[in-house]
Amino acid sequence: MLLRGDQGDVSSLESLMSQGKEPLKGYREVNSLAQTSLLDRFISAKKGSASRNFFLSALWWSLWGMGAGMLAGTEFSMPDLIRGVPQLAMPHLRMWHVNAVAIGWLSMGYVASMFHMIPTLCKCDLYSERLGNFTMWAWNILMIGAFCTLLNGNTEGREYAELGAILDVIVVIGLVAVAFNLYMTIVNRKVKKLYVSLWYFLGSLFWFPLVYVIGQRSFVALPGLNDAIIGWFYGHNILGMWFTTVGVGIMYFLIPRFTKAPLYSHGLSMLGFWGIALFYAPTGTHHILQSPVPEWLKAIAVISSIFLLVPVLTVLTNFFMTMRGKWGQVVTDLPLRFAVTSCMFYLITCTQGPFQATRWINWYIHFTQWVVGHAHLALLGTFSFILTSSFYYCMPRLTGREWHSQGLIRAHYWLKFLGFTLMMTSLTTAGLVQAAGWALGYPVDQWGLALAPYWFLRAISGFMIVTGQFLFAYNTYKTLFTPRVPADSTVKAREVKV
Amino acid sequence: MYGYRLGAIGIVTTFFIIIFSTVLMPMVLFNPKASGRGNDYNVIPLSVGDAARGRQVYVREGCFYCHTQFTRIQDRGYGPLVKEGDYVYETPHQLGTARTGPDLTNEGGRFPSQWQKAHLIWPRAVKPGSIMPSFSYLSERDMNDLVQYIQTLGNKRTVTAFVTPPDEYLPTTPQGRGLAARKTVDTASDAAANAGRGIYTQNCAACHGLEGKGNGPNAITLEKKPPNLTRDYYKQYPDEHWFYRISEGVTGTRMPRFQSVLTEEQRWYLVAYLKTLPKEHEETIDNLDQLNVAEPTHLPVLTKQVYEPHHGKE
Repeated sequence: MLLRGDQGDVSSLESLMSQGKEPLKGYREVNSLAQTSLLDRFISAKKGSASRNFFLSALWWSLWGMGAGMLAGTEFSMPDLIRGVPQLAMPHLRMWHVNAVAIGWLSMGYVASMFHMIPTLCKCDLYSERLGNFTMWAWNILMIGAFCTLLNGNTEGREYAELGAILDVIVVIGLVAVAFNLYMTIVNRKVKKLYVSLWYFLGSLFWFPLVYVIGQRSFVALPGLNDAIIGWFYGHNILGMWFTTVGVGIMYFLIPRFTKAPLYSHGLSMLGFWGIALFYAPTGTHHILQSPVPEWLKAIAVISSIFLLVPVLTVLTNFFMTMRGKWGQVVTDLPLRFAVTSCMFYLITCTQGPFQATRWINWYIHFTQWVVGHAHLALLGTFSFILTSSFYYCMPRLTGREWHSQGLIRAHYWLKFLGFTLMMTSLTTAGLVQAAGWALGYPVDQWGLALAPYWFLRAISGFMIVTGQFLFAYNTYKTLFTPRVPADSTVKAREVKV
Repeated sequence: MYGYRLGAIGIVTTFFIIIFSTVLMPMVLFNPKASGRGNDYNVIPLSVGDAARGRQVYVREGCFYCHTQFTRIQDRGYGPLVKEGDYVYETPHQLGTARTGPDLTNEGGRFPSQWQKAHLIWPRAVKPGSIMPSFSYLSERDMNDLVQYIQTLGNKRTVTAFVTPPDEYLPTTPQGRGLAARKTVDTASDAAANAGRGIYTQNCAACHGLEGKGNGPNAITLEKKPPNLTRDYYKQYPDEHWFYRISEGVTGTRMPRFQSVLTEEQRWYLVAYLKTLPKEHEETIDNLDQLNVAEPTHLPVLTKQVYEPHHGKE
């Protein structure tokens, strides 16, 4: 196997596990600084290291991605802020912003969460920490490559699929390595029954690499509209078959754990899972509903978009019923507050989505900043919040350290929540102004200046969110690198409870 | 264990059904033939700029994040509607999803190349209030190629045919000959056009706008928007066609049948006026030398001569 088997402890453990014998229990220390080789240092086999490293990389790239988004948003308000620097021009910043938060922050954070949650749910260890850490390095190299290429405009010119061919290959290698690692973990599991989160994770890990391969079109040149159809199949499914499905899986993991309540209904959770699997994938064409693509394809997209209400409401009913009698906990439990906020935003974004996909709302709203607001509601409001919650939940369990400061978490929450609410409001209002402008057929020159206040508010909101994220990073830094012994730690190194 | 195998089969089957219906079926069933109306990047001589390379610059600079390249039925002022076959050679597609700036489907020829270049370098100099980023960092070659690309957008998407008036308006039928015999108005004369102007203002301007650009105050309430009568397309209408449209209205729109309101003579006056509407983008030039230069006028020298107002008497 790749990079595996040369570490005595791990391979002997795995051979034990594969023979069905009882593995070593407790927190397994492989390293000791004296005999740390380069291999151990960079591709560590230490338990939980892959998850932790993925989390930290995700946080690192989120600063760059969100910072770029803030700068791009500021340039809407002050278009001459930066002149003559191609790397900092708005379109280049936007490419990097989208890829950094999607491939860097959210995807790496998701992989990190799965690296922690799947072993926990299976009551076994990750199949290979080495492979996990190797994937982490590959992914970071990919992000460095994306940083260097996208800011210079080396793009394939397709929204959400901007990365060049070599970087695409690295993404696919990374996804396949992650999928293999986690599938093998589940094969080696110690519990018989699969919790619903695992269904979501397994499904996503199966179909997202395929969607990514189909969506890239790096090595094929399709005629324009077919290119657009495949492009939006991919563009919507990076959200629908990766961010949503993994994110909902994380919600299913976190909410019962935070509230210490059993999941309301496993039957409903299955209905939600199959609903998403069936209805989410064909919706992509609603992004080009008014272009000359086949009507039957548009009909499929609109109908499945509306049907999406079924899995969404099922999933949320399940969460909210699980929360029965526990709502008061959001006052004290900050990670739970992130998770509940995420569910609320999920409700809003998934009510907006089906309505926007209908032809008449689309007729009015399409092409405007409303849609940008909706995209941020899904990726920032919902999935970034749940990932942050997961980060706050997993990090103490991975490192055995308490969070440095609850106040900083609180500040992070409020900056992110208020910043995002401001962003959503300003973008939606700007979208309605634009929609009226396009519908009445006035030239942009006549109403463009009317958007100035909303661009300004959006820039402010971006500043708030980025500030929150920097506080988050500072808190994480202090948590991990402050030398102190957690004498009265209330969190065990890894809490294995299902 | 069997239950999970069933689940796994379910996931795989569901996924491949979806791939089949939304990826494979469109690839097989949807193969539009080239309509001949797609952008032609070889029209402008390559010595000026390479439009095909300009397209790469357009992609590289991410223009499609703010500018779309497809016109919709409700869009006004962005030229003819696109068809499926227009995009056959457009890879990667640049349809776009947001209009922070205007649609560029038929942008070619709207502004002089010099204007486009100035706009790329310093957008707010030529469009106050624009929030487009300045692309002054582009090299001279990139800039010229990009401008050539912009100038080719929609260059083949011109209207080549229109509905001819029915036979009873043409001199091939007795009714048409009778109509021509009753026509006493010279529709090419300025006098007739002047007479038509008032009729236009009273009956047409509410929807078509004072300048005939289709932007009258009523236009915002209409689902089928009134046309921009200054477009090149309308310059080829024969008199009979104008007369037919005014008399019988346009089916499927709110354009009324003016034959119940206006006399035949008034309608001919109106035709004469409509023919004098200015031609859209007539001022479009590719070179500053082609600009109409006004002759300087010198004011008369002041004298002691007393100004005597004219009272209209004598």
